[in-house]
Amino acid sequence: MKSLFKQKEFSILAIVLLISSILTFVSPVFLTVGNLLDLIEGNVVIGILAIGMTLIIITSDIDVSVAAVTTAVAVSISYLFGFLPDSWISVLLLFLFAPVIGLVMGLFNGLLVSKIEIPAIVVTLGTLNIIAGLVLYITNGNYVNSTSFPQSFLSFSNIEILGIPILIYLLAIVAVGTWFILKHTLIGRSVLAIGGNTQSSVRVGINYQRVKLFVFAYMGFLAGIAAIAQTAYTKAVDPNGMIGLELTVIAAVVLGGANIHGGRGSIHGTLLGVLLLAIMQNGMILARIDTYWQNVVTGAIIVIAVSYDQISYKRSQDKLANIEVEA
Amino acid sequence: MKLSKESILGLIALGTFLFMALLAPGFLSSNNINSMMFQIPEFGLLAIAMMVVIVTGGIDLSITYIAALAGVGAALMLTNGFGIFPAIIMAILFALACGAFNGFIVSKIGVSPILVTLGTMVLFEGVILAITKGSSISGFPDAYSLIGNGYYLGLVPFSIVIFAIFAIITGLLLSKTSWGRRVYMYGSNEVATLYSGVKNSKVLMKVYLYAALLAAISAIIMTSRYNSVKVDLGSSYLLQSVAAAVLGGTNIHGGYGKVIGTIYAVFVFQFIRNGLNLLGFHSSLVDVVIGSILILVLTMNFFSDKFKKKQEQKNASQAA
Repeated sequence: MKSLFKQKEFSILAIVLLISSILTFVSPVFLTVGNLLDLIEGNVVIGILAIGMTLIIITSDIDVSVAAVTTAVAVSISYLFGFLPDSWISVLLLFLFAPVIGLVMGLFNGLLVSKIEIPAIVVTLGTLNIIAGLVLYITNGNYVNSTSFPQSFLSFSNIEILGIPILIYLLAIVAVGTWFILKHTLIGRSVLAIGGNTQSSVRVGINYQRVKLFVFAYMGFLAGIAAIAQTAYTKAVDPNGMIGLELTVIAAVVLGGANIHGGRGSIHGTLLGVLLLAIMQNGMILARIDTYWQNVVTGAIIVIAVSYDQISYKRSQDKLANIEVEA
Repeated sequence: MKLSKESILGLIALGTFLFMALLAPGFLSSNNINSMMFQIPEFGLLAIAMMVVIVTGGIDLSITYIAALAGVGAALMLTNGFGIFPAIIMAILFALACGAFNGFIVSKIGVSPILVTLGTMVLFEGVILAITKGSSISGFPDAYSLIGNGYYLGLVPFSIVIFAIFAIITGLLLSKTSWGRRVYMYGSNEVATLYSGVKNSKVLMKVYLYAALLAAISAIIMTSRYNSVKVDLGSSYLLQSVAAAVLGGTNIHGGYGKVIGTIYAVFVFQFIRNGLNLLGFHSSLVDVVIGSILILVLTMNFFSDKFKKKQEQKNASQAA
């Protein structure tokens, strides 16, 4: 029980609960099932992307092309709608095609990072430019709305099970699946090992290049799923709609306690990070804070969170050193 | 004959210039050359600022918002009846405040620069939005617009002169002063630098202040050229400036980077952008080309390094 309180995720949970209770006093609307479900459903895309980003950040890399990849897959989906018949099979096929398209783009990033050894930030900056440019060129920036979507997809996106929208289940499946990979598979353990100490993990026989390839490919795969979620949620495809979203995703992962130097990070932490950002956005709207001030608050919270994290990390390192001296 | 990385890039820049001159109609017209000269300084200053930060192994994602905030500072002074000189001072002060904030958290608290500047990027954007309410500030005095649009001796744009001066200053600072040497030392090995008696935090603080200063100069040129300022002032230059620094040979892990390389890279980008525009390419395809070049150059670097290593091994084994 004591270790539970010491966990970093616990302090994020405490902040989430604190803000939630303040918001409940500020606005009676906040703590209603409807508002909370809306809030989560609206952040499914960020959640799915943040889960993929967690794995990358654990291996101390970064991927700034996620929003562009997701948009590219979403645009591909809107073209696929033209070919697929209007039936349930199409929706299933979509869940096959979209992740594969994302996977291919993720593999491209992964190959450049692992085999060609170009730093991930540069690679993904390059692919961000390439993919976003191509998407804008092909679509001409045009918005595709739901009139051209097949009826089966629209009814899929409106499904509710036990009163909870289908997209939330999708996020839950991705979260549990990724948690399982991270916790119980060889490749997942390798991801954590490489993040913890690259050199010693290579010495015990972990294939560094394969793990790097995996995390970027998996990110692409999840971007494909996120694209379906985005299309289902907005019921439209907007080539300009996700510009800059990668920064929100990274911010959520970092708030959730993943360390950019690698080795630390968890799925539940990341989900709490997403939730924290979402609650803040939602709360500021409910508290009628001027929209222009919202970025100030969000930015300040990110800066405070990462500074606090660093300070507490330094303290724990100092303690470690002390114990060694006493022994 | 052996050429340095930078000279090769210089030749590439010359090559792209000749290539575009041959292919793109009107590339060499005085009008076009002029418009390129007016576009280079604002981007070049931001790229150099980014380069200095990258040499320390960091990155400054907030740089364009620092520029925008500096622009807002100048605009507020100008539209409230102050002169040009106080406006410039105010722009620099705004930027230095931002730089000090970044520098404090990076150097004193020790948070990794990408995270700090990610946060401050959102923060500064928020501050600008809160000040401007999302709209643009415009209507500066004519004399102010001379900075970005005027000519020195009727020939060279003022902005190019300003750019050249700051490029030379940066080059001298990095190569001739002890601060500059320490920046490179910190970038290649911060622990060793600390143990050789260097105050790392001071060096880093100055890096972020200096980058902010360059951003302010860039902002002054931009606001004067556009005669207005908005929250997204120069924001399209963010990723491009990282790309220019990296293409210019700056090591993204720190420790190496030269002003001249970055300037060549800025030229390459400008020639390509301008040439492709003249050739009637869609503007979003230009991004595709720039991204591809970035990745292609680094891939070629990787293979040439590999090739060189093999050659060296061969030579070594032959010698033995």
